Amino acid sequence: MFFRVIDKERLPDLVTGLSTEYEVIAPVEKDGRFVYAPVVDPGDVRLDYDTTLLPPKKWFFPAEETLMRFRVADNEVLDDEVFAAPRVLFGLHPCDINALLLMDNVFTGRYADPYYMRRREQTLLIGVSCSPSDTCFCNVWDTNEVHWGFDVFLTDMGDRYFASCRTVKGAEILDRFVENRTVTDEDTREFQRVVHDFKDAFDRSVDTTQLPVLLDAKFDSPIWDEFGEKCLSCGACSMVCPTCYCFDVHDRLEPDQKSGVRVRTWDSCQFKEFAAVAHGQNFRDTRASRVKYRYYHKQWGYLSKFERVLCVGCGRCARACPAGINPVNVIEALQTGEVR
Amino acid sequence: MAPRVAIIGLASDFGCQVQVTNMEDHLLDVLGLMDLSYWQLASSGHLPDEYDVAVIEGAVTTADHAEALLKARETAAVVIAIGSCAITGGIPALAGTADYDARYGVVYGDGVAVARGRQLPAPVSSVIEVDYHVPGCPIDPAEFVTVLSRAIMGLKDDMPRDPMCAICKTQENVCFLDRGRACLGLVTRTGCTAKCVTLGRPCTGCRGISPEANIPAARLVYAEKGLDPLELDRLFDLYNAAREVVV
Amino acid sequence: MKNAQTVMTRDIDANPYHPWPARITSIMDLTDKEKLFEFRLIDEDVREAFEFQSGQFVELSIFGVGEAPISISSAPSKQGFIELCVRDSGDVTGALHAKQCGDVVGLRGPYGRGFPFEEMKGHDILLVAGGLGIAPLKSLINHIHDERHEFGKVTILYGSRNPAEVLFRYQFDMWKHRDDFDLILTVDQPDDSWDGETGLVTKLFDKIDVDPDNTYGAICGPPVMYKYVIEEMRKKNMDVDRIYVSFERRMKCGIGKCGHCGVGHQYTCVDGPVFNYWEAMNLQGAI
Repeated sequence: MFFRVIDKERLPDLVTGLSTEYEVIAPVEKDGRFVYAPVVDPGDVRLDYDTTLLPPKKWFFPAEETLMRFRVADNEVLDDEVFAAPRVLFGLHPCDINALLLMDNVFTGRYADPYYMRRREQTLLIGVSCSPSDTCFCNVWDTNEVHWGFDVFLTDMGDRYFASCRTVKGAEILDRFVENRTVTDEDTREFQRVVHDFKDAFDRSVDTTQLPVLLDAKFDSPIWDEFGEKCLSCGACSMVCPTCYCFDVHDRLEPDQKSGVRVRTWDSCQFKEFAAVAHGQNFRDTRASRVKYRYYHKQWGYLSKFERVLCVGCGRCARACPAGINPVNVIEALQTGEVR
Repeated sequence: MAPRVAIIGLASDFGCQVQVTNMEDHLLDVLGLMDLSYWQLASSGHLPDEYDVAVIEGAVTTADHAEALLKARETAAVVIAIGSCAITGGIPALAGTADYDARYGVVYGDGVAVARGRQLPAPVSSVIEVDYHVPGCPIDPAEFVTVLSRAIMGLKDDMPRDPMCAICKTQENVCFLDRGRACLGLVTRTGCTAKCVTLGRPCTGCRGISPEANIPAARLVYAEKGLDPLELDRLFDLYNAAREVVV
Repeated sequence: MKNAQTVMTRDIDANPYHPWPARITSIMDLTDKEKLFEFRLIDEDVREAFEFQSGQFVELSIFGVGEAPISISSAPSKQGFIELCVRDSGDVTGALHAKQCGDVVGLRGPYGRGFPFEEMKGHDILLVAGGLGIAPLKSLINHIHDERHEFGKVTILYGSRNPAEVLFRYQFDMWKHRDDFDLILTVDQPDDSWDGETGLVTKLFDKIDVDPDNTYGAICGPPVMYKYVIEEMRKKNMDVDRIYVSFERRMKCGIGKCGHCGVGHQYTCVDGPVFNYWEAMNLQGAI
């Protein structure tokens, strides 16, 4: 990997420079919380953010997008162009970069999703180190560290950033847009110290022993009924999750009924009709069965295919769930048999 | 032949009709596919004897209303209810939350029969079967057009069922409940892109209670957030006072 | 944004959501609710590239209405045409029922894992269908028919609610007299004209002999049926990994992305819809 050091006060130059060629998306404040939004003024960027309301997935897989335009008369696709402008996502935390890598497994590979892929190809990722918040538990899944998937990763060392460049493009944008210098031995020692402190700061302890087996062995456990009673079936958890990728597809006709668009929208396995088929059968009719499925899929279904759990411990769902259901208390309930 | 559409107004402020009339450009496209036989605000005249689609706005508050609905159901192949008043009883149903007769007296004077056969305000579905629904106060004209075209195409009613929080999250709103303010989004029928919350006002439940709402759990959420759990039920009264009779 | 390079794609092959236009070449009324549609993909290259296995499905697309997953009823050996047996049960299937011969709809696929036809060769076959479950099995039956010499004894048990709901009756009536297929039809509610069996399809197991070491089973029907039919097959000592089931779930995208068809830890659309019973047993909530 290619390393550089950037003085903290020079960092705004990078945002300004990138803005000349890319749309720059970075965390900005909104009503006391943070969102990823396009920025022009580097002064708006808040690298001290805890977490964002929505994860970065929306820049690759928007909450609503048009898949194609169609004509009704001959059932013909008029246009399925995939448009993606060059973009930089600036200031991603390690969990969110890891989450994108998990999303990649679903949207690339066999039957690659051109909409997601195009945006992914056209977007540079610049990560930044973080500090633990009340709700995050990334260390449980080892997603507080990120080793690839970014173009540049900035580790905060007080008055400067230690910049790790994973890609040629990443090294190139650093050299072009911001004053930087090569790494000294002192920088490397400081980097080591900082990343150790960083690692020590994430000390959330959750017993995940044999989780996939437990999910099967305790499939009929009454804990699911308890969670089902609390769940509002509102789907907030899925929306804010950086790794939830389920979607629905609808056709929308123009008022003249002659043409229309096929759109896809984020969906949630917590919605009642999610697993219902046309003949009326609903395979997950109860709230309990739906809450269970969410965890069953994240901790076992996905794992069975891609050898990783479908969770990065960002804690967004824990914050977003009005009823206070979160992965940590679900996993603990599975281990102990009691819902706390 | 283009389907003949009649609009029937019961007890309401006709705001939904105004919404539809305001969207003339789009309306004309849809109207190209149908024959607008009777439009209370957009034109004048009496209900024709025959029509195919009845669009009903307003709550049922008199025996005349109930009769008009039975006639409409008999005449029209398709009945579409639009707006909170028609679907949940809406604001008119608020009158039923206390002693209705006494309240009526306060407003109109004792014993004065303002309307023949007045009755407790109720949703259209308490009198006749409704095929399609466009909820909201007022309705979103675009949703009206979507439902109307589904009706014309013979597709099933696709009124959203789930609560509102998910779509509110996609708008990146900061949750009112987290700020200690009551909001009905967690039990209210989705489909409006959480417009009110996005504009800085908590959800008041105008689209009706979601059939999937977990109301006991929602009361617990209120308690957890430092709100009075019964506040949830009180807030319902604004648009969902007749919730016991909503079909 | 100077020097901005905008990437676009118009490569239809690269978009798995893009349905291919297909013309309806024949429509046959089967019952009050089901029709058999035959389609021909209009683009010649697409048509020639469309190779499938029995048990696979397509996404049927009617723009303005939506998409629905439908299993293929014709045999892979019938080239150039695709048959779908469709019940009018939702918006898309309702809209298809309103179409006429010559109309164009969209198809994409084939998707999923079908029956292991090659592996089944050289063995006896026991097919059990309930109701509309005959649709994917019809493909397998016809495929076996076309390569009949490759198989041992072939037994078909097919249960319907009543005689009016028996699908493909025209074909089965013709087959009644064939001795290379043991075909037994049953209905729950017979009428005066019914000359087949009466009662649930599981009752027919008393009437058949199964060589447990040499038989592959294939089952498709309403969700409640699987458990009982599998029980009967197990009573006949058939191996768990030679009993194949085809599941109906909400396969929306067909390509393992949208998440709707999740069953246990798998997706029906890419991991199924055909599973053997060992796999199915390990899918929580499948049967």
